[in-house]
Amino acid sequence: MGEVLVVTSGKGGVGKTTTTANIGTGLSLLGKKVVLIDTDIGLRNLDVVLGLENRIVYDLVDVIEGACRTKQALIKDKRFDGLYLLPAAQTRDKSAVNPEQMLNLCEELKEEYDYILIDCPAGIEQGFKNAIAGADKAIVVTTPEVSAVRDADRIIGLLEANEVRAPKLIVNRVRPDMVKRGDMMSINDIIDILAIDLVGVVPDDENIIVSTNRGEPAVADNKSLAGQAYRNITKRIMGEDIPLLDLESSQGFISKVKRIFKL
Amino acid sequence: MELNSVTLKGTPNGLVIIIREDSNFAEVLSELEEKILSAGQFFRGASMNVLYRGKFINKNQENQILSMLIEKSGAQIKSFGREPEKMDVGTDNMKTTGYKTHMNSLFFKGIEEGPCKFIRGTVRSGSLIKSDGNVVIIGDVNPGAEIKALGNIIVMGVVRGIVHAGADGNKAAVIVAMKLKPVQLRIADIITRAPDEPDIEYEEKSAEMAYVKDGYIIIDKIH
Repeated sequence: MGEVLVVTSGKGGVGKTTTTANIGTGLSLLGKKVVLIDTDIGLRNLDVVLGLENRIVYDLVDVIEGACRTKQALIKDKRFDGLYLLPAAQTRDKSAVNPEQMLNLCEELKEEYDYILIDCPAGIEQGFKNAIAGADKAIVVTTPEVSAVRDADRIIGLLEANEVRAPKLIVNRVRPDMVKRGDMMSINDIIDILAIDLVGVVPDDENIIVSTNRGEPAVADNKSLAGQAYRNITKRIMGEDIPLLDLESSQGFISKVKRIFKL
Repeated sequence: MELNSVTLKGTPNGLVIIIREDSNFAEVLSELEEKILSAGQFFRGASMNVLYRGKFINKNQENQILSMLIEKSGAQIKSFGREPEKMDVGTDNMKTTGYKTHMNSLFFKGIEEGPCKFIRGTVRSGSLIKSDGNVVIIGDVNPGAEIKALGNIIVMGVVRGIVHAGADGNKAAVIVAMKLKPVQLRIADIITRAPDEPDIEYEEKSAEMAYVKDGYIIIDKIH
């Protein structure tokens, strides 16, 4: 019996889709059978980030409406064994699906796959309600900005109201240098307000933009710091106890040299 | 004592008190009290509008009558004021001008002892906690959350959102929190907001209390 995780944030542009793609890929690299569901109907992106856009034949709405079997719509990623994508429809909108249908779909997929990751659209309307309907657990993504934290807080409240208990937090796009200068909220500031468990911190990394544009998840790139952060998050989701990345020390050559000379 | 300085009259809309033009106020008050008391349980639990006509009385005297009515009758007084001079037949003449000015005397009186709502956990952005009594939050109140209580508000955590105590006008209501860092504080009809300067980080060991003094909201440590 698998587990359904919804990746959500409230605010747009904080990295839900990137996070879903990377955690999904990470889990498949560790030998799990994973389905990623894009519930952002009308504004689908997950397929692009995964580089699977050109292989879409059927989508989520086709499955819900019974135009195809679930298996037919699942796109198998050839690079990563055990990774499947159920893309969103692009020519419809959020009202094409209702929460009950999503719940049934999740129940069906749970039978066969270890993890079902749901990429939630921004906002708190129909799309959000659909996305969380079948979820057992939630991962809340935020960035160290007041507006993103505010929206995350709202989302956590809504998750709790919908019986999705104890969501986990990912703080994305952290810039240690700015935090150090006091120009950015620190992880502790964020946890103070949101009061939920932290599952990972992802540093701001230019490589992420390159990798999402190319459709190659950063988690598979051993040189990427953000990729390392996602690999750790993946392991924590599977229950391993891994310490947080020391972002301070892994900033570059100069700081490494400084560290060696204890400057 | 001359009888009948005051006559009570029931109408479909509520109660009308007719005060005789040449009566003196002390007499009016005592006689009214007597009449209310003699009605026994009649008014208890009822909800009504009250108007008066006849002798002109000042605001202070109006307040005295009103508080006596609230206290002795046991009824919920929805409005109180002078009856409009012209009575438009068929219209709701209970919407008197006196209503607004007397709202302040009609507030919730349970801040010493009254109903209380307990909330366990953090109150997050977007949630509105409303109570007809006092509220105790065991957790934080986050930005974007709103607490509205007719009585006191006690927060066993940090207040970062909007809290409104004594929401129907009771200025004696207080707001207590382990740390007060609200967007806005409201007590009765007084609103204050946080200063624009970035807040000074200070380690406050004891809880803080906001209360009304001379028409301003004051925040102080609990001694």
